[in-house]
Amino acid sequence: MSAPALTKMTKIEVVVSGSEAPAVRELIQSIGATGYTSLSGVSGLGHGGYHQGRLLFNQQAALELIITVVPESRTDALLAGLRPLLDASSGVMFVTETFVSRPEYFS
Amino acid sequence: MTDVENRRARLRSDVALAARVVPTHYPLETFIAVNPLAGLEGMPFEQAIRRAGDLYGTRGALSEEAFRQFHRDGRITDTDLDRTLAHRFPNLFGAEDLRLGNRMVSALELLRADLQHGTGSPQFRRRFLTRAEEQAPGIADTVDVQTSKWCAAFFGDAAWPMPGSEHGFYSAWRSLAPGDRSLHRTVRKELRRTPERADDAVLEALARLGVDADARTAYLQAHLTRMPGWAGHVQWCAAHGRGIDLVGYLAMRLTYEAALLERRPGPDGGGRSVGTGESVDAPSARDRAAHLIGVWNLGDIEDAEVAAAARVLTAMPVTSRAMLWQNAFEAHYRDDLLRQLGAGECPVAPGPVRAQLVTCIDTRSEGLRRRLESLGGYETLGFAGFFAVAIRYTGLLQGRASDLCPVLIAPNHDITENPASNGAGAAARRVSGATRLAGAESAFHAAKEAFAAPFTLAEAAGWIAAPLAAAKTMAPALSGAVRRRLRDAMVPTAPTVINLAAMPDEEQVMFAQVALTTMGLTRGYGRLVVFCAHGSTTENNPYQASLDCGACGGQAGAPNARTAVAILNRPHVRVGLESLGIAIPADTWFVAAQHDTAVDRVALLDTHLVPDGHRGDLARLEQDLRRAGGALAAERCEALPGARSQLSPACAARHVARRSADWAQVYPEWGLAGNSAFIVAPREVSGGINLQRRAFLHSYDPDVDNDGTALETILTAPLVVAQWINCQYYFSSVAPQVFGAGTKTIHNVIGQAGVIAGHTGDLRLGLPWQSVSDGAALRHEPMRLLAVVQAPLDRLDAIVERNPILQELFGNDWVALAAREEAGRPWQRWTRAGWRNWTESTSSPTILDEEMVS
Repeated sequence: MSAPALTKMTKIEVVVSGSEAPAVRELIQSIGATGYTSLSGVSGLGHGGYHQGRLLFNQQAALELIITVVPESRTDALLAGLRPLLDASSGVMFVTETFVSRPEYFS
Repeated sequence: MTDVENRRARLRSDVALAARVVPTHYPLETFIAVNPLAGLEGMPFEQAIRRAGDLYGTRGALSEEAFRQFHRDGRITDTDLDRTLAHRFPNLFGAEDLRLGNRMVSALELLRADLQHGTGSPQFRRRFLTRAEEQAPGIADTVDVQTSKWCAAFFGDAAWPMPGSEHGFYSAWRSLAPGDRSLHRTVRKELRRTPERADDAVLEALARLGVDADARTAYLQAHLTRMPGWAGHVQWCAAHGRGIDLVGYLAMRLTYEAALLERRPGPDGGGRSVGTGESVDAPSARDRAAHLIGVWNLGDIEDAEVAAAARVLTAMPVTSRAMLWQNAFEAHYRDDLLRQLGAGECPVAPGPVRAQLVTCIDTRSEGLRRRLESLGGYETLGFAGFFAVAIRYTGLLQGRASDLCPVLIAPNHDITENPASNGAGAAARRVSGATRLAGAESAFHAAKEAFAAPFTLAEAAGWIAAPLAAAKTMAPALSGAVRRRLRDAMVPTAPTVINLAAMPDEEQVMFAQVALTTMGLTRGYGRLVVFCAHGSTTENNPYQASLDCGACGGQAGAPNARTAVAILNRPHVRVGLESLGIAIPADTWFVAAQHDTAVDRVALLDTHLVPDGHRGDLARLEQDLRRAGGALAAERCEALPGARSQLSPACAARHVARRSADWAQVYPEWGLAGNSAFIVAPREVSGGINLQRRAFLHSYDPDVDNDGTALETILTAPLVVAQWINCQYYFSSVAPQVFGAGTKTIHNVIGQAGVIAGHTGDLRLGLPWQSVSDGAALRHEPMRLLAVVQAPLDRLDAIVERNPILQELFGNDWVALAAREEAGRPWQRWTRAGWRNWTESTSSPTILDEEMVS
């Protein structure tokens, strides 16, 4: 991908149950990430079977997708923290390269 | 990014993982019932309580002696025991009898005898210990004392706040702790070197204590479970931005531990893994067999026969006996309940329905519904007490907004209370009266807590304070009435309305559709439909919120009921509903009400909005609610300590009113004690049965819920909240030292955080002892929840299949699920392997396991 006006960063997407999401969000903030996007009530099929999406009156039991973008210098710390959390739960994590137009928003 | 930052991030994860077992603890003002073992729900119940025993050193079921007493009293029968044993040990059921001397004994009989007479009940102690607990229990106690002291200072609302607390707990503690003269100067010197960052302090202390990375989570867990009340509250505060988190809390505890242990002469604290508590020797199976032979007085028995009996007993370890008793205890109640519910549908409102009353699913509503239905002309329904409106509510007096919804969700709308169109003047008088009163109260408390003012205050107000205190003690009802009248005079009532401007019209229609469909109220409307919330009025009761509505975040639900009926009375909403197939007659009016569960009075709300044509209906309803409430009060008085039995409804009403106003009363009401079942079905299934205020009742009509959305909502929200309540009562009863709040008589309130027993110690979790026991005996029977559902079984299967939370609750035996397709069909039991007839024994093999008894 050639995008000279863009800055390379790392995008980390985590899907965990709503009850685990606060620990992930706290970790993201603790390593100095400037923000995240959270999408609750996501549904899907994984090795644990099908997971229902939005529940009318229970946000904790539904799955949540949390997306953050960090400079590469912060990636290792975030992964070091996320890995044990995910080892102990049924969540998944995706790490990809991404490009942003305003790097100062993310570092 | 440096290695240090990686280690800090890893530490945060380890703390989060360790904290999974920590019970959630809500502040007193929004006290919510929770399962203290929620973090262990991924395990089967029996395994979870064993794990909790290792973590907290407490039992997870009643003692065997308590169960044996239930057996002697007939609360558990031999049949209950035999069915439970046959269910657990199908291979032993029907096996060949054993010979013991001149007596032939079946394997089942042998196991039952061991349950009844066996020795060697396990002792419970923490098996995950801190270094200090292992090496110097006195130091562990000192760490706890320091923890309690600093947490109380941070959370308490004393006149002199903890200096520096505005910068957060860890920072304030770090600057103050080195000045603590109760510690040796070498320890204070160590404290002065504490790192600026809490996570660095934890890492440094763990290194000094010799805890390596692999053992770290378990070690942190040992610290968090040492004082689970403070840890739980800190965790709650961290999620609400209150300046403290578990990393800071652990930094304090670990720093003290490391500093105190290093100063202690003798072996150092390094290099060892997390210790385990001393194991307790259980009697061998042979010892147990010999003991039973003694109980039966069989004399000398051949060795081979003793060995054969021992092999049978091996199948049932001593540690499993309490849970077998528990299962038998539950089976007795459940079988009886399902028998009653299966007896046939009962028309609950013969004749035309004048009004419908929709109450909260709370177990206390069952009594009100039953009593009102008995008067004829009323249909009642059950629904979560927030009535599907998740709101952040600001009352007329403009205090702090309250989140009135289950804690499972966040409020959707900001709802305010405004003066009615003709009530602006009255509202202004109410606001100004309340402001004056609040100012006077504030000045009084400020004077009480200032440095020298209490002396002046005593001189100025002592002459009236003493007689007032005497009146509150000697004549609580009279004193309460006088205070209420004075307050009403100072803060007069004013007609108000609920402002729905924050909720768009289309959302109002959607809310109305969801609420009516989920409760199954889509046709057959009466002239009045009452949405009846609940709250409880008690005096001098830090646990007031535990008696209010759990579905409204531990608060009274009147604003939710008012909001819901305001929406349903709007013509625009009625039109929208009609287009969705729900036609509400023009002469149906929705009314809000609130049931005061301490006195069984139902107050009708916003009556100034009721059309003139409905005034007669309203008067009749009010009269019938008064009659139903009086009868219910008389029913409740039979079980209230100190109340005379067989009181007339009028006397009972006066008695409960007096209790409610008595500031020395530790048993104002029994709350949800006794809760044990959650019934999701049309009222016809449970109508006419005295469920003794033990069942949560959620209305459900499968015919208007073809896609199962309503049932899924009920099972994933109200059922979950009911299970939390059930578990809180359960564990407050079986493990009151750890998961209960202890006796009310020595409670010391720490700000809004909670209570401690006496002047120091852990913040107490769970319910006070007086909420589950009358002092002499338990009034709450600790049983896991039984969910009873009347709905298509394949619909239930599909819902469980796509909701892991339900797979955990049902599959791990936290909740049992009984269901049937429709009335008249036999009840089925949900199992991981499919539905089984409720009464079916799973035992089939008749050949005894040769290894066991040959």
